[in-house]
Amino acid sequence: MVSSLLLPLRTAWGTLQERLFFLPPFPDQLDSLALFSLLLVVGLLVGEWLRAHLGWPKVIGYVLAGTVFGPSLLGWISIEALAQTRPVADAALGLLMLEIGRRLDLRWLLRNRDLARATLGDIVLSFTTIFLFAYLVVGLPPAWAAAAAAVTMASAPAVVLLTVEEFNAQGQVTERIILHTALGSAAAFVVFAVVVGIVHAQHSSDWLNAVVHPLWVSFGAILVAWPIAALALLVARLLPKRSLAQVFILVATALLAVGIARMLAVPVFLTLFVMGAMLALRDKEKTLSYTSLPEGHWLLAIILFVVVGASLPWQQFTWITGLQALGLLVVRALAKIGAFAWSGGSLPRAKRILVGIGIQPLSATAVFMVYELAGLYPEIGRSALALPLFAAAIMELIGPALCRFALVRAGETTKDSSQKGGIA
Amino acid sequence: MTAFTGEFKQSSPLTLGVELELQLLSQRDFDLTRAATDLLGSMDYDGRFGEIKLEITESMIEVSTLPRATVDGIASDLDGLRQTLITQCSRNNIAICGGGTHPFHHWPDRRICPGERFDELYSRYGYLAKQFTVFGQHIHVGCTSADEAIWLTQALAPYVPVFIALSASSPYVDGVDTLFQSARLNAVSAFPLSGQCPELKDWAQFVEHFHFLQDCGIVSSIKDLYWDIRPKPEFGTVEIRVCDTPLTIERAAALAALAQSLARHLLRTRPAINTGLQLHVARYNKFQACRYGFDAQISDPLLRKQIGIKDWLGELLDQLSEDARELKCSTWLDLLKVSLAAESNDASWLNEQQARHKNLNDVTHAAALLFASGATDKLGENKQ
Repeated sequence: MVSSLLLPLRTAWGTLQERLFFLPPFPDQLDSLALFSLLLVVGLLVGEWLRAHLGWPKVIGYVLAGTVFGPSLLGWISIEALAQTRPVADAALGLLMLEIGRRLDLRWLLRNRDLARATLGDIVLSFTTIFLFAYLVVGLPPAWAAAAAAVTMASAPAVVLLTVEEFNAQGQVTERIILHTALGSAAAFVVFAVVVGIVHAQHSSDWLNAVVHPLWVSFGAILVAWPIAALALLVARLLPKRSLAQVFILVATALLAVGIARMLAVPVFLTLFVMGAMLALRDKEKTLSYTSLPEGHWLLAIILFVVVGASLPWQQFTWITGLQALGLLVVRALAKIGAFAWSGGSLPRAKRILVGIGIQPLSATAVFMVYELAGLYPEIGRSALALPLFAAAIMELIGPALCRFALVRAGETTKDSSQKGGIA
Repeated sequence: MTAFTGEFKQSSPLTLGVELELQLLSQRDFDLTRAATDLLGSMDYDGRFGEIKLEITESMIEVSTLPRATVDGIASDLDGLRQTLITQCSRNNIAICGGGTHPFHHWPDRRICPGERFDELYSRYGYLAKQFTVFGQHIHVGCTSADEAIWLTQALAPYVPVFIALSASSPYVDGVDTLFQSARLNAVSAFPLSGQCPELKDWAQFVEHFHFLQDCGIVSSIKDLYWDIRPKPEFGTVEIRVCDTPLTIERAAALAALAQSLARHLLRTRPAINTGLQLHVARYNKFQACRYGFDAQISDPLLRKQIGIKDWLGELLDQLSEDARELKCSTWLDLLKVSLAAESNDASWLNEQQARHKNLNDVTHAAALLFASGATDKLGENKQ
C-alpha cells in the first residue's frame, strides 16, 4: 500500500534526478534515526492516550502501536525496519534486565525463609503445570513443551519495572513482585539453557551442539557479564557515588555487555541480568547501589515495546492456538496465585495473592527467548513455539493491567502518578 | 479524637514514658520508604514493651514505652521495642534508624497513613503534613496533680535549649547540610500552634485558656497544641517534645534521665519562675540551640546577659547529680556528661560520617547500623 502511494513521488524523483545530479537515489528505506523517532512518537501518542483516557499502563499503548503499525496489520513498520531497530530494542531490554538483576536481593531470602518457599513454589508449579498443559493438552513433543514452559514460566521484568515506576508504587507487595520477578527470571534462564540442549538432542545428529550450546548460553553470559560488572565497579569507584558520571558508567558498561553478547550470540537478556545480579552481589561498598538508570531509559522502553508489538505474528493467529494460549495463561495464573496463597511470609494471604497477580505479565523476554529457540530449528520451532508466543502476545496487553491492578489494590500507588514515568 | 474534659489523670511522681518516632528505610538505597502499615499489619507483638503505632506518613513508625519508675525500665522497654522492630523489619527487607530528619528524602513522595486523624491533618495542613516527616523523641514525666503539671511545664521551659543541644541529630535536610544541629524543629515551627506554653497560674487557667482557643475554633484537642512542652492530662504527665530522635536508644534513655532528674530538682527546689520574661527570649534561645548545638549562646532574661550553653549545661549536670543518684539514673546522666565533655552529639556524628563517606546514602546506612547494633561504647563517641 505504501509503495503504491509513493509511486508518483518516485517517478517525479527519477525525472528530477536526470537533471539534478546531486540528488541521491530515491530513499526506499527510512533512515534508522527517522524510524527511531517515528516509533517513539507513535508509541508515545498511543501510550499517553490510553493512560489519559482509560488509565491503562502506557506499556499497553506502546505494544498496541507496534501491533497496529507492524507487519501483521497496517504494515507501516516492515520486517526490514524491525531488524533495523533490533539493536535499540536489545539495548532497552538489556538496561531493564540489568535493573531487575540489580534488584535481586538474595539476603532477603535468607532473612525470610517463607519467601524462598513461595518463590520455589512459584517456579516449580509454574513450570510443571505449563509443561503438563503443553504436553498433555496441546500435544507438543516433550522437548518443545519444556521449551514453552521455560519461556513462559517467569514474569516480565521489563513490564513489572515500568509499571511500578509509572505508578510510583512502593510497599511490600511491590517489593515482592520485583523480587519474585527477578528470581523467576533467574530460574527461567537456567531452564532455558537446559532446554536449548534438549532441543538440540532431539533435532540434531551432532551431540556436541546439545552439550556445548547450553554451556555457551549460560557460561557465555557469565563470562561476558562478570568482567564487565567488575569493570563497572572498578571505574565507578573512582567517581562520586550517585554522580552523573556514575550513571554514564553504568549505561556505558551495560551497552558494552549488550554489544559483546550480540557479537558472541549469547542472549542479551541473560547476560545483562547476570551483570545486574553480579553488581548487586559484589558491590559490598555500595559503589553503584545508589546509582539509578537515567530517566531516558523510558525512551528506549517505548521503542522496545513498539518493536515487541510489531514482532507478534498476529497474521498466523488461529482460534485454536488462541484458545490454547489462553489455557496456558489460565494454568500459569493458577500456579502463580496458588504458590503465593500457600506461602509468602509475613504478609496477609490477600496481599500474597496480589503478589501472585502482580507477577502475571509475560512479555519482551519471553518473545526474545522464543525467537532465540525458534531460530535454532526454524522449520519446527516456529510452529511449536506458536503457543508461548501467542500467550506472550495476549499477555502483552493484559499483563501490565494485571500488574497495575495488584499494585493499586494493595494501596501502594500514588493517587496522582501523572508526573511519573518520565514522559507524562 | 478524645475531647478535652478538663480532667487531669494523676500519676505517680516522676514516672517516665518515652515515645520515639523512627525512620523506615529501603534496604536498597536507604531512602525513606512506604512501609508502616504493612509492617504493623504483619506484626505479631503482644505489647509487652509498650506500643508500636502509625505516625502521620507511611515512612514513620512510633514506639512508646510503658510508664516506668526508672530510666533502667525505660531503657529496657526501648531495647525490647528496638529488637521487635528490627526482627520484623528484617523479614520485610526494611531498615530502621533514628535521627531527627531523613538526610535526603524527597518529601512530596511521602504517603499519608490511612486513618481519620491523619486524613484530617492532611486536609488541614496540606503539604506541611508531608513535610512533617520528621522524627522526635517525646519524654513524659508523671505529675501528682494538675497544678503541679502546669507549674512544671513552665519551669522546664527555660531548659528547652539544653534538650535540643543534647538530642540534636538532624543536620541534613533535602540532601543539604543545613548548618543546623537540629533542623527538625524548623519543620515543626511552621505549624500555627507550635511554640511555648503561655504564662499560666494554675490548671484552672490552663483549662480557661484551652476553652478560649476552642471557642475561637483554633483547637479541638490537646493534640492540637504543638507546644515545646505541654501538659498531657490523659496520661497525667508533662510532655517534653523538643528532642530529635537520637541515633541510639541509649541516648534516648539518657535524655529521659535528664528529664526525670531535672523535674525532681525543680519540684524539690521550687525556684521562682518568670514565664512572661522567658517568652521574650524563648524563640531566640531555641534557634541558638538548633543552629549551634553546644556552641549556642543562651540569653538569660533575668540576668540580662548571654551565657554559653556548654558552661550552663556543665553546671546543671553537676547540680542534678544528687537527684540522679536518688532516682538511680546517675549512669545514664554520666553518658550526657561524657557527650558534653567531648562536645559531641548525634549531629556531629552524622557530620563526621558525611565527611568520611561524602554520601548521604552511606551516612543513613551507617545510622541504621548504629541503631541496630545498640553498641555505643561511650555516648560521646557513638561507635558503629
